[in-house]
Amino acid sequence: MKNTIKDIETILNENLNRIEAFIHSHPKVNFLFGALFEAADGLIRSTRDTAKNPPFIRNSMDVKQYMGGILVALFFGWVVPAIYFYGFLCVIPKLIVSFVVGVFVVDVIWVILAGEERINEGGFVTCLFIPAFLPPQAPLWLIGVGAAISILFRNILGGVGHNLVNPALFGRLMLTICFPTMVVSGWQEPSTGIPTIQSLMHGVDAVTHATPLIAFKETGETASFLSLMFGANTGSLGETCRVALIITGIWLCVKRIANWRIPIAYLGSVFIFSAILSAIAGKTVAPPIFQLLSGGLIFGAFFMATDPITTTYSQSGKWIFGIGCGLITVIIRGYTPIPEGVMYAILLMNLLSIPIQSIILKIKYRM
Amino acid sequence: MTKIKRMKKAYKKGFNLIEAYPVEFSETVILVKYDGPVDNFSFSFPDKKVEHIIVNLCPTEPWALPNRAVLRNRTHDFLNKLETVRSKYFPDSHCHVVVNHHEATLFNELNQYKAGANRIPPFAKGEYLHLHTIKPVYPYDAPVLIVKNILGLDIAFGQNAAEQGILLLDPQNVTGIFEYYIKENEFNTRLIPISGTGLKDNKILKVKPGTPLKRMLELYVRTDIKYRVFLDGLLNGAEVKDLTQKIDWSTRNIVVVEERDYKSLFPYTKVNELLFTTSLMGELRRCVYCNHCDDICPVNLEPALYWHCYDRGEKHKARTYALEKCIECGLCSFICPSKLELFQVIKECKSLK
Ligand code: SF4
Ligand code: SF4
Repeated sequence: MKNTIKDIETILNENLNRIEAFIHSHPKVNFLFGALFEAADGLIRSTRDTAKNPPFIRNSMDVKQYMGGILVALFFGWVVPAIYFYGFLCVIPKLIVSFVVGVFVVDVIWVILAGEERINEGGFVTCLFIPAFLPPQAPLWLIGVGAAISILFRNILGGVGHNLVNPALFGRLMLTICFPTMVVSGWQEPSTGIPTIQSLMHGVDAVTHATPLIAFKETGETASFLSLMFGANTGSLGETCRVALIITGIWLCVKRIANWRIPIAYLGSVFIFSAILSAIAGKTVAPPIFQLLSGGLIFGAFFMATDPITTTYSQSGKWIFGIGCGLITVIIRGYTPIPEGVMYAILLMNLLSIPIQSIILKIKYRM
Repeated sequence: MTKIKRMKKAYKKGFNLIEAYPVEFSETVILVKYDGPVDNFSFSFPDKKVEHIIVNLCPTEPWALPNRAVLRNRTHDFLNKLETVRSKYFPDSHCHVVVNHHEATLFNELNQYKAGANRIPPFAKGEYLHLHTIKPVYPYDAPVLIVKNILGLDIAFGQNAAEQGILLLDPQNVTGIFEYYIKENEFNTRLIPISGTGLKDNKILKVKPGTPLKRMLELYVRTDIKYRVFLDGLLNGAEVKDLTQKIDWSTRNIVVVEERDYKSLFPYTKVNELLFTTSLMGELRRCVYCNHCDDICPVNLEPALYWHCYDRGEKHKARTYALEKCIECGLCSFICPSKLELFQVIKECKSLK
């Protein structure tokens, strides 16, 4: 058994080497498929690079594992619960459209046209976000447009490492501007209880119902915390099952992929500010626990705000970043006609993170 | 599997290399014969009066000389030698012996000696001997950190500790000074540990300084793979291209590591195989602001800032971010998931005047 695997490995390895040699010896082929091959090859083989400068050994963690960790967390955090609540046929086509348009069309064309070396795996993360914060009944083309805008926007700004704001959220913002009704309707009731084949495939009948936050704006009623916690409520596709999101989010923090300071600062400040404001202003501001458990807050705090590139680099800046997000979220939710403020809060703080970072550096190093 | 598990226990400040890269040395010490010209032992005594001597018996790098090779189960002998050297050359100085906090037996032996030394007349100097324990976390034994932790004094990186009256004494040099200057015996060998995946066996060699590396390694290197040879550790040591180079009295260890310059299939199933090689274990990317580098930096710097300065072409600005505090341990490059050459960038920025 072991020998067969070894043999297959050797054959596969040799053939991959041959393909690689072929691609590199033909400039035209290299131009078109070089990056594609590198990307595919990079998934199954290690690199050839060795350390040329000290230190001569390196830690095994690399960006692929880093992004892979986020993908795994997102998969268990929202894809699995969403399949349970809304059915296979609601979730999977959205993912496929998002990946195909975002990564395999826009990113690949960009890489070929711009002559970049490789396709960046960060695109998968962005594309996995897009369906998550749209309503379950959002049409497929909307998701495709969102993914295309996000990836294009990220690439125009210079790719991973140079994006000013979270590309997925930017895509969502553009969708909100271009199709304002599409992104705030179609909140389908999730199927709960013991799953059947039927419910796992198709979900239950498409009954729509306002999200708890919209309902609160209109009637002042809060949904039960338990149903909010476990996801038996309406909301965007990926944000309803908060238990799963919290568990996977904590896992990300433990693996040190997400920085724990941001979710703590964000959720903590939402709690404190909403407690203070609802004590002062009464019914206009929702009570703290309801605030924490509704809308995209948990999803945003653990997965979107922690996107490392768009926060400040300094650790103390991350506290300020999180607290700022919390304050803006509570204010938007309480004092504007928009029911949900997580997206705007994170985007705004993304922009503010650059001045925060430079002020912190000035204080820390006394320039 | 156990090895991978251990890797996860990354330390916040500094990194426990000994857990991540376990290196076992064989018990016996092997003498390398060499008839060519050799260097004689010499020790340059500092001009300034020495107030504190620090003897570090806690190596934090797995490829460093294990302390049993120096002590050879005769801790009291060693401490007697140390006391003789101290009272003869550095009278009135305090002697600080540093041991690994896990090595309870060694610590007890030292304590017994200290208690006994106060009573037995010839060495009634127990009050000059101080014991300390540290965690074997790299780079806690770097001069700047050890002086800071043991004495609470600040020395700058690259500054000679002797200017502040501190002498960092290599345990082997204790024996050397004792034998050569006090007993006036012949002393011309040094213990050099050799280890790594490029060798068939990890050994401790007894060598006459002046012996070429080739002569030391020829019996032990693996001939079936490519390898590279490094002096004084993998993190901030130097690569040896020319094996006719000779070792000297300051050489601490030699590591020979496999050079993996080919692609291997399914690397995630082979982490153990790749771990102790020169493989970068990933591709070069842009900085993803993951904060791993400032979490691991033992002196609380933010190495990514230097890289950003460098990336923007503003090398001179790096100095404004406390660059001079860097103790050049190399951990930031080691941990960076984007495989950026942070350490190289730091050195380049430092060399700008
Ligand atoms: S900045 Fe200097 S001291 Fe800090 S980890 Fe890097 S090399 Fe070590
Ligand atoms: S470890 Fe590397 S990728 Fe992470 S913040 Fe530091 S320089 Fe950037």
